[in-house]
Amino acid sequence: MVKISVLQHDPSSHTATRPGDPTPVSRNLDPLMHPFSRARERTRALNAAKMDRMFAKPFVGALEGHVDAVEVLAKQGDSISTVASGSWDGGVIVHNLSQRTHIARLPQAHKGKVTGLCFAEDSRLLSCGVDRNVKLWRLDSDEPINVFPGKFAFNSIDHQRSSSLFATASTLVQVWDENKSAPISNLTFPTSTETISSVRFNLSEASILASVGSDRTFTLYDIRTGKAERRVVMQMRANALSWSPTFPTNILLASEDHNLYTFDIRRLGAPSLIYKGHVAAVMSCDWSPTGTEFVSGGWDRTVRIWQTDQGHSPEVYHTKRMQRVTSTLFTTDARFVLSGSDDGNVRIWKGKASERLGIVTARERAALEYRSSLVNRWKMDKEVGKVARTRHLPKPVYAAHKLKHTMLESRRVKEERRRKHTRAGESKPKPERKKVVLAEQS
Amino acid sequence: MDALIAQADALQSHSKKRKRSHRSDSQPGPSRVSDKTSNSIIKNTSLPHSLRPRADEVVATQQYKHIANPKLRRSLAKTSNHIAQSQALLTDAVDLLPTEETGSVQAEDALERTWRLSQTDIAKEAGAEAARGRMEMKLDGGPYRVRYTRNGRHMAIAGRTGHVASFDTLTGAVHSELQLGETCSDIVFLQDHSFYAVAQHKYTFIYDRDGVEIHKLKDHISPTRLEFLPYHWLLASVGTAGYLKYQDTSTGQLVAQHRTALGACSVLAQNPHNAVLYLGHQNGCVTLWTPNLPHPAVKVLAHLGPLSSISIDPSESGRYMATAGKDGNVKVWDCRNWKGAVREWTLRSGGKGDAEVQWSQKGILAVGSGGSVNMYRSPSIKTSLQPSSQPPLYLTHPLPSASHRPITSLRFAPFQDILTIGHGKGTSSILVPGAGEGGMDTGEGLDLYEGVKGRREREVRGLLDKIQPDMITLDPELIGGLAPPSKLVIGTSGGSGSSRATEIPFARLPRAERLRVSGKADLTEEPTSDAESVGDASDGSKPKAMTKEEREKKKMRGKGKSLKRYLRKQRKNVIDPTAVAIRAKIEKQKAERKAEIRKAKYGDEPQEKSTALDRFKRTSKE
Repeated sequence: MVKISVLQHDPSSHTATRPGDPTPVSRNLDPLMHPFSRARERTRALNAAKMDRMFAKPFVGALEGHVDAVEVLAKQGDSISTVASGSWDGGVIVHNLSQRTHIARLPQAHKGKVTGLCFAEDSRLLSCGVDRNVKLWRLDSDEPINVFPGKFAFNSIDHQRSSSLFATASTLVQVWDENKSAPISNLTFPTSTETISSVRFNLSEASILASVGSDRTFTLYDIRTGKAERRVVMQMRANALSWSPTFPTNILLASEDHNLYTFDIRRLGAPSLIYKGHVAAVMSCDWSPTGTEFVSGGWDRTVRIWQTDQGHSPEVYHTKRMQRVTSTLFTTDARFVLSGSDDGNVRIWKGKASERLGIVTARERAALEYRSSLVNRWKMDKEVGKVARTRHLPKPVYAAHKLKHTMLESRRVKEERRRKHTRAGESKPKPERKKVVLAEQS
Repeated sequence: MDALIAQADALQSHSKKRKRSHRSDSQPGPSRVSDKTSNSIIKNTSLPHSLRPRADEVVATQQYKHIANPKLRRSLAKTSNHIAQSQALLTDAVDLLPTEETGSVQAEDALERTWRLSQTDIAKEAGAEAARGRMEMKLDGGPYRVRYTRNGRHMAIAGRTGHVASFDTLTGAVHSELQLGETCSDIVFLQDHSFYAVAQHKYTFIYDRDGVEIHKLKDHISPTRLEFLPYHWLLASVGTAGYLKYQDTSTGQLVAQHRTALGACSVLAQNPHNAVLYLGHQNGCVTLWTPNLPHPAVKVLAHLGPLSSISIDPSESGRYMATAGKDGNVKVWDCRNWKGAVREWTLRSGGKGDAEVQWSQKGILAVGSGGSVNMYRSPSIKTSLQPSSQPPLYLTHPLPSASHRPITSLRFAPFQDILTIGHGKGTSSILVPGAGEGGMDTGEGLDLYEGVKGRREREVRGLLDKIQPDMITLDPELIGGLAPPSKLVIGTSGGSGSSRATEIPFARLPRAERLRVSGKADLTEEPTSDAESVGDASDGSKPKAMTKEEREKKKMRGKGKSLKRYLRKQRKNVIDPTAVAIRAKIEKQKAERKAEIRKAKYGDEPQEKSTALDRFKRTSKE
């Protein structure tokens, strides 16, 4: 006797019992039931990469109001939306980002260009200019609360986070107290004859000060001892600097040689990472409050957003009308990037180019995450990687990039040939990071 | 500043700190209580990945300690960890998922002959509900071709005289019935039952579910067989002119047309796992085609005579192919190795008429020839047996009368134990226990009870996931696999020779080459060469193998020995008794050393191998 059983499906377990119920879902994980799963996933990844580029509309809006080039931007540490900008015509405007309105307008804050701006406690604003004055403003009045006259034109200003001290940069670094009209100390490296271009307080150890200057140096001061502690001479000068908000010993320099450098101040002999991508001098840089990325603006009319652990292929933002970018800023919510440029506009950009503004539902968010992980998984695929990597660049930037590549390549080939024809072991190739620092002084 | 540096030094580095905190997380604490409520709803509330709680168990996987680059090491460890976790989840899911039973015929002893079971016996045993699959349709449209949709719910038939119909097999509702009035040689459903294509006398036509003519495909002239590749959205046809044509049904473009140059062709089958099309020709050849190759990927002389049918086994990822020829033979082939058929046997009916072959989802082969359909089960038809003989029959089903001949079409219904036979008097569906796959999959659209909404969504998703036609290859795992290593040999700079390859500077070498040249390559995965292992075995007395440098240093260059030096200094063409003696001595030493090595290797001294030429050897005088 044989036992015979014939395959039967129970319809009640595969169809909705009542109208409105969700249809039951059955799964079979046998790979034979899912042919071409890899090829289909690749197609999905390719589509995800294309969609990501399709939705990449980073420009949010422009903040108008200046009649001349924007020189400097400053954010208020305890506010998401308040940002101040200073211009070459001596005007200062405090913007509200979310409403895109002016909180305060100071058309004649300084004679000549405004070179430095920073917020003090209680929503007060410090500004300095080439007219040799530092002015302290309250946002609701047109007249300064206090004016601190100096001897030289100022280049930069920074306020300590929770005290009344601030530092200015001119031919030397001066530390001021809000309550005293004269500087309380002058900081300078003994043999220096430079013009300091930027000065910043460390965010966690508030007595440490860093400055970059025109004689290709980067100097660290301690205001308690009142002297310069370390000085690093580099190949080319740096234009701006920024302390990391999450790692107090890390500092970011925007250099004239088209690169950005992060240094660990415990090891000043070589930068910890080099960020290559700009095709002209980098004029400004600012960390995201998360410390995982930062923004830089350059003389090549582009704004670039870098991942901290990746020294190449940053996100590139540009528009036709944006001129040389003189100042950049990450907003305090880490979602937006501001750039001030020579054409007199302050532009708001998204921190992530393809991010959707507004409310994102959980399903949408899950889909976005799935798509981004797909792209990440398939980025080694030729086609997917190409779509994900490629950025459209303005023609002059692209041409400059190609020219620069050719020049560097020929330099490298020449070096290779020279080494090949010298005695073996005579000249060893020098790592790129070791080339940056010329001397470390203390 | 010193304070800052001291603080920063006191902290661990970033990665170490995170690792430690993670470990403390993973330790099961007393405070951790599994929340039953959250466990019950967590399946139905799909949280985005970033908001989900972290996976509790951290699977200990490979740590990649031998890799120097911390970034690479971290990403490798992360990847392998992820793979291990997802595999654990998968095994969990397999345990949790309900499995549906497949049908079977269980004999009590091995001598019981299952092929003696008739359809009435099976229907009686299986019960009334299952017996509903047994169905006879008497139709007058001539021999019929049959086709199921991929989920097995809908069926379409096309009679040679132009009777075309499509209907729902579960409810029995007829979607459309057409009398086309011209010869129809094949019918195929497109992505689902809402469209079907009919190979008619002159062209291929596409009809929608209600039988309205949607398209006339003028490029497909006098077609004989049609196939639809569901994941590529390609409709393929072959006709009396011998052209294989691919039409993209989502864009309407003719993707490729290949001239087979082997005359009229009426045998076409697809491999569902790599989307390669198999053509059977008049001269006994089977050719394999992809859209991106203008010539067949494989060409095999399968039969001594025209082919009559081909089918690919879906149960073992398209590995086996069955062919039937007009020479009266059925052959089963291994598609990875084309050196002859795995198994072949002669049809019971001899070579009269066309034989049809068809594999089921679970690997049951149905062979229809003459007036009966024979079914064979898997392991026996895939194992070779010399001399060739009939494999053991599983089931057999004779057609009711001789007027039902010929059998023109065999199709197994997916996810059911039903075989539908198209013959001269209509169609008949018979029960074949164990033919269908039990587990259905809604996500792939392989669901017998798929609803309208599910079908619509699947259609859209299928269009988004459409694979490009030029990605069809014989090996479907090629996509996303590792690139094959380049055969180009790259010389490094600094080497001797003036070829162009040596001109490549160090910086432009591929990364693997650079690592190798600079001595940083990871050699742990390379197998040790045979020469080294032999060398180790010969000096087994030494406690430890020498390092590479040591070996290099101690290597005998062959010039140091005084005897050899003496010989070298001698002039070659002067026969000197001392030199001759020294030469003999050196030879003797060499032989002794060899024997010693052999002894160390094999234990005792083996006998010299005797050869056929030994008889001509001059024996030494005593």
